[in-house]
Amino acid sequence: MHFVDNIPIYLQIKDILNRRIISNEYELGSQLPSVRQLAVQFSANSNTVQKALKEMTDEHIITPRRGKGNFITSDEEIIAEMKEHIVTEMFDTTYEKLRSLNMNDQEIVASFNSYVKKRDEKNE
Amino acid sequence: MSKLLEIKDLNYKKNNKVILSDVNLSLDKGKIVGLLGENGAGKTTLIRLIVGVNAIKEGVITVDGAVKKVDIKQNVSMTDHLAGFPRGTKLSDIEKFYQNVYPDFSTKKFSEISNYLGLDMTKRIAGLSTGTLGKLVIALTLSRETKLYLLDEPLSGIDSMTRKKIISSIIRWKSDDSTILISDHYVTEIASLLDDVVIIKDQTIYEVSSVEDIQEKYHLGIEDYYEKVYEGGLPNE
Repeated sequence: MHFVDNIPIYLQIKDILNRRIISNEYELGSQLPSVRQLAVQFSANSNTVQKALKEMTDEHIITPRRGKGNFITSDEEIIAEMKEHIVTEMFDTTYEKLRSLNMNDQEIVASFNSYVKKRDEKNE
Repeated sequence: MSKLLEIKDLNYKKNNKVILSDVNLSLDKGKIVGLLGENGAGKTTLIRLIVGVNAIKEGVITVDGAVKKVDIKQNVSMTDHLAGFPRGTKLSDIEKFYQNVYPDFSTKKFSEISNYLGLDMTKRIAGLSTGTLGKLVIALTLSRETKLYLLDEPLSGIDSMTRKKIISSIIRWKSDDSTILISDHYVTEIASLLDDVVIIKDQTIYEVSSVEDIQEKYHLGIEDYYEKVYEGGLPNE
């Protein structure tokens, strides 16, 4: 696992886990791997993994069950909200960058549409 | 969090040359702490002082409440590069030696770790590559059920595949309440493992800080931060 070295690792772990949940790699309502398993997977310290899980718990994405481990919420709304948040964040950066090239909204939308079209053609 | 290791006002000279001066350090229970510093900065000396291999003349070292050398030794497991064994010694005999000398040595843990690392216990020290010797050293050190582990450059001279395997065995077999102090040059590689870093510079502990603080405060990786500390070019606080 490669981490960016100047961003706290617990934030990066949290981000990866959230993406796995959104992409349904980890199913809603299912149990997360144990702290130790995640630590080994990420080559990180278990305190760091704990910290990522603590934040996810505070954000109601997972719920710890005593003696059983951590379970992913079954509440689709929470996940949808989280997805919305991540997508918005990605658009924020892209949008700012395009605006700084002096493109207006129409141009941005048009170039995005043509980009998606090109990607589709490539994949066919 | 309670303290596992405390060092107060430690001074150490060798042949009238100051090696360490005014060292004060305390480590929390359960943490993995990196000990960073140039070659010759005093990392190994500090580790040897903690475990009692070198005698302290000035200062106090406490490990889990123990102050006496004999008691500290029972609470600390330090990497030993096995230079004291005849080159023809079989690995299985080294394991027996550890069992006899250390009451806290867990045969079960050792067999799990040595299996994971793929150690062949019928081999002799003389036939081991640097990497395999490194694996053996880490397996023996982690197999003692104790409070404090002192790993002195456990990855030095070892190829990258084996380094990863060793790092992974540290994560797998570290018990939650034990503390690990690990000195190394491969700062970036162990960065994800560390809670805190201790930097030794100019014969003393220059700084102790949490890895997260460094990343949040300076937006720097540990390696960059460490280099900046040595160059004296840290962004002002």
